[in-house]
Amino acid sequence: MEELDAYLNQVKQLPPAPRTLAKLLTLLGDPDVDAGQIVEMIKNEPALTATVLQRCNAAFFASGEPVSNVAQALTRLGFNQVFRIVAVIVGSQSFSPVQKSYGFEQGDLWRHSVAAALACQKVAESKGDDPNLAFTAGLLHDIGKSVLSEAFEDHYTVLVQETEANQQSLLDVEKSVLHVNHAEIGGRLLERWKFGPELVNAVWYHHAPGEAGEYQRWAAYTYLGNMIAHFMSYSFGHQAFAFRGREEALNIVGITAEDIPAFMISTFEAIQPVETLFNMRK
Amino acid sequence: MPSPTLSGFQVRVTVGVADMAVSNNPGAILTTYSLGSCLGITVYDPYVRVGGLLHIMLPTSELDPIKAKSRPAMFVDSGVALLLQEVAKMRGQKERSIVCVAGGAQFLDSKGFFNIGKRNYESFKEHIQRLGLRLHAEAVGGLVSRTVFFHLETGEVRIKVSGQTNEIVLWKNSTPILTR
Repeated sequence: MEELDAYLNQVKQLPPAPRTLAKLLTLLGDPDVDAGQIVEMIKNEPALTATVLQRCNAAFFASGEPVSNVAQALTRLGFNQVFRIVAVIVGSQSFSPVQKSYGFEQGDLWRHSVAAALACQKVAESKGDDPNLAFTAGLLHDIGKSVLSEAFEDHYTVLVQETEANQQSLLDVEKSVLHVNHAEIGGRLLERWKFGPELVNAVWYHHAPGEAGEYQRWAAYTYLGNMIAHFMSYSFGHQAFAFRGREEALNIVGITAEDIPAFMISTFEAIQPVETLFNMRK
Repeated sequence: MPSPTLSGFQVRVTVGVADMAVSNNPGAILTTYSLGSCLGITVYDPYVRVGGLLHIMLPTSELDPIKAKSRPAMFVDSGVALLLQEVAKMRGQKERSIVCVAGGAQFLDSKGFFNIGKRNYESFKEHIQRLGLRLHAEAVGGLVSRTVFFHLETGEVRIKVSGQTNEIVLWKNSTPILTR
């Protein structure tokens, strides 16, 4: 932990904190919450409100009168839909810097993250778990790469060599070069940002779900969401497949390998309107 | 000196996942991005200069026959059938076709369905053999994500691997033909 904090403290520019998401998820977890509180929270961020309304009114949602305020948007689209729109917008801000050292072009990490978020949501939903929490875990699982990217800039040739020649995972290479890896940095960052333990652990252990203790289900959803995104060509950057196959993720969630294609197909369907809405295609 | 006809313009066409493009416009460059375990499959008839690029995601349409009807390009079998059919519509012939494949990446120590890249590739090989097609060049497996550029003027297929500076020429007119 100290090592992670020491690392985070010396990073010049951390990605903008997705505090809105943390707060929205807390509100959502409260059974007594009413729509007014949610409206209030989104309204407090004028820039976000404008974008949310704009997206809500985009062609694919358009039905009748355009919505002109957050309360209307919630009534019309429902909380889950609005939450996901907010999440994708906030996510795009966190991933906006180009993570050159990993070989991501502008928008690549965001594309990958949105695909992973939807896949994660699909798997969690099939097991009756909170889809919004799963979506957020998938969306933020690689936030640590945004942090490590700058430091990693001089080392990407090592990354390519080590993964290729020695069959090392990206995570191993990060650890040996920087002494921290993107999963634990991301987890610690979410902890600092006051996200709940499910999300912190989901991100922290998204490459080793078996180690997440009581939160291993969330880590396994995130692992599978990430994997499914890679299986769907939302797979960017150098040595994109340099991570370990963790079959325990399937056991933890209680699905088999044969279930994966169906999740790929349902994620494919879910991402089509999102790509149109956010103009995400390359 | 090339004449300034329409064909002198380059037209870039992006092929998404579970999608396909076929053209006989010699100025066209068909592109598909960041193939992981998916496969990018090209077919080119050099005599009529017709080519197509397919981006499949899964090894067989048996996984979801209904989806295969609405999205044939998602699966190896239905996708290749569609590709050949569309190439034939533009007078491309199967017998003359140059076939290339890229993608099929694999995670480290992956087994079972985690090796979906390998399953895609094996299904593809089996399928084209059954169709009597010959595979001319391939760039498959490994840990990398590949982008394919397919130039219809020459039939040249180029691959860009993230982390490598130069594009690789997978096939061009003088590429020795794979014998197996």
